[in-house]
Amino acid sequence: MVIFNNNTEEKIITAKFTGRMDTIAALKLNEMIQDNLQIKDGKTDMKIIFDLGEVDYIASSFIRICVSTAKQAGAGMFSIVNCQPFIKKTFKISGLDSILNVS
Amino acid sequence: MSENIVNTASEIVENAQLAAAEFHQYNQEKTDHIVEAVFRAGFKNRVKLAKMAQEETGMGLWEHKVIKNVLGTQLIYESIKNEKTVGVISSDTRTGIIEIAQPLGPIFAVIPVTNPTSTTMFKILICLKSRNPIIISAHRGAAKSCIETVRICYEAALEAGAPEDCIQIIPSGNRELTQLIMAHPKIALILATGGTNLVKAAYSSGNPAIGVGPGNVPVFIDESADIQFAVKSIISSKTFDNGTICASEQAVVVMHSIKKQVIKEFEKQQCYFLTPEEIKKIEKIAIDEKSMSMSPSVVGQPVAFIAQKAGITVPEGTLILLAQLNGIGKDFPLSTEVLAPILAFYSAVDYNTAVNMCIDLNYLGGIGHSACIYSNDEKRILEYSELMNAGRVLVNTPTSQGAVGYFFNNLAPSLTLGCGTGGKNITTENITAKNLLNIQRICRRMPNEMWFSYDLSKYLDESQDIDIILKDYYKNH
Repeated sequence: MVIFNNNTEEKIITAKFTGRMDTIAALKLNEMIQDNLQIKDGKTDMKIIFDLGEVDYIASSFIRICVSTAKQAGAGMFSIVNCQPFIKKTFKISGLDSILNVS
Repeated sequence: MSENIVNTASEIVENAQLAAAEFHQYNQEKTDHIVEAVFRAGFKNRVKLAKMAQEETGMGLWEHKVIKNVLGTQLIYESIKNEKTVGVISSDTRTGIIEIAQPLGPIFAVIPVTNPTSTTMFKILICLKSRNPIIISAHRGAAKSCIETVRICYEAALEAGAPEDCIQIIPSGNRELTQLIMAHPKIALILATGGTNLVKAAYSSGNPAIGVGPGNVPVFIDESADIQFAVKSIISSKTFDNGTICASEQAVVVMHSIKKQVIKEFEKQQCYFLTPEEIKKIEKIAIDEKSMSMSPSVVGQPVAFIAQKAGITVPEGTLILLAQLNGIGKDFPLSTEVLAPILAFYSAVDYNTAVNMCIDLNYLGGIGHSACIYSNDEKRILEYSELMNAGRVLVNTPTSQGAVGYFFNNLAPSLTLGCGTGGKNITTENITAKNLLNIQRICRRMPNEMWFSYDLSKYLDESQDIDIILKDYYKNH
């Protein structure tokens, strides 16, 4: 569902997601993300990348997780990469693609 | 404007936008499953919600509100259940055009006090069918029943797998919040059903809107009509939910030649013609003198209540009060819309004068809405229809039940009736799910041979005669 890759030298954590990020998946992910992204007291000094290359569905609750993670990471420290076009459009419709730095 | 309200408005719209993002990923099957679940939940609660609405608003009759709830659930559902609203909805090999349905985005829906639960369920169903999240604003006089309707529908929708926040309701009576959401740039469309001010506010918001305001439905009973049938039909419509439907009859117009017969028939069928003194008394309680609009205190009330309030005595069991008026306009308050069992009555010397009266009534606050004719003369039916500015011209049909579709004709069942440009709408149609879609067209290359075989340089020559150009252009080669 999600694999974390921690590059301590470059201070980048990549979370590579797979499959459907529906409401149930999002519930499970929330805690894992907090633990693995080294977010303490709502803060982190790592650059966080969500790789959605193998994601084919995202629920609004998953988008909320992206937003809260982006807020904790701080300006310019969060991005979403490798979106399939359908998922890219979903972020566009949410109106949050700029805040989430979706490429 | 307080910061809290601004934040609340933004939060509500952002929630809806997230729901829209999730919803656009749904396929037809999943969408239809949700729509069916919500229809079933709403239909199951049709009686409870009808009683709640009647008790809370004090308007209309709960038995008739049940029928409205059936319209807003079963009949709407039946009319949209087989519609394609996701992905490719049509493909024409002849024209090379493929149509794709896309949702609009968050829809802000304003609900009137007169039909609160039925309109709420109707708007929810057509929004869900088109994969659009809906934000509902209830009239403060019907807040409780709308909240309960939304709760029932939302729970059923979530249970069936709908996105979180696909249905929201905002606190009623907060004008600032309503205005902020209406004007929010992320709102895709406003579905406003209500009074003139509300509809104006919707159109001034800067967002696309389908606003349905008042009607002022004229009914012409032609000499060729079956008078007994016409009167019975009018009564069944004007007494339906005590006249709360905006398409209900407002004025009956006849020619002198049949006036006596029509009056006699109305009286025979338990209707009462007011004396000039009684008309004045009814005017005072039915129409607000300053705004020249109907007084909420009579809306959806039975004749006995209205008569008592006005201090007049009418025969027990009277169904409708009729006011014979000599004119149309501000000097004749009952010539305007009153959503209660009160009808204006006019007689004219001839056909042309009668139709002119109907035109005046139609243009007095009801442009684009509905009109009616009872006639067996096809020529006159067509002539009358062309002269009215009305999205629906009902023929030999009760207008309340006729304009909303299904019962008496093949109009789409709807509780939001488009009023065309006369009502500042883009459509005269009965609004349904298909009106809540952006239709994209994939256009295959199919070059027009006529165009490409023509010597286009001829267009550059100003001396070329138009008829010669046309002859050349359409010539077979």
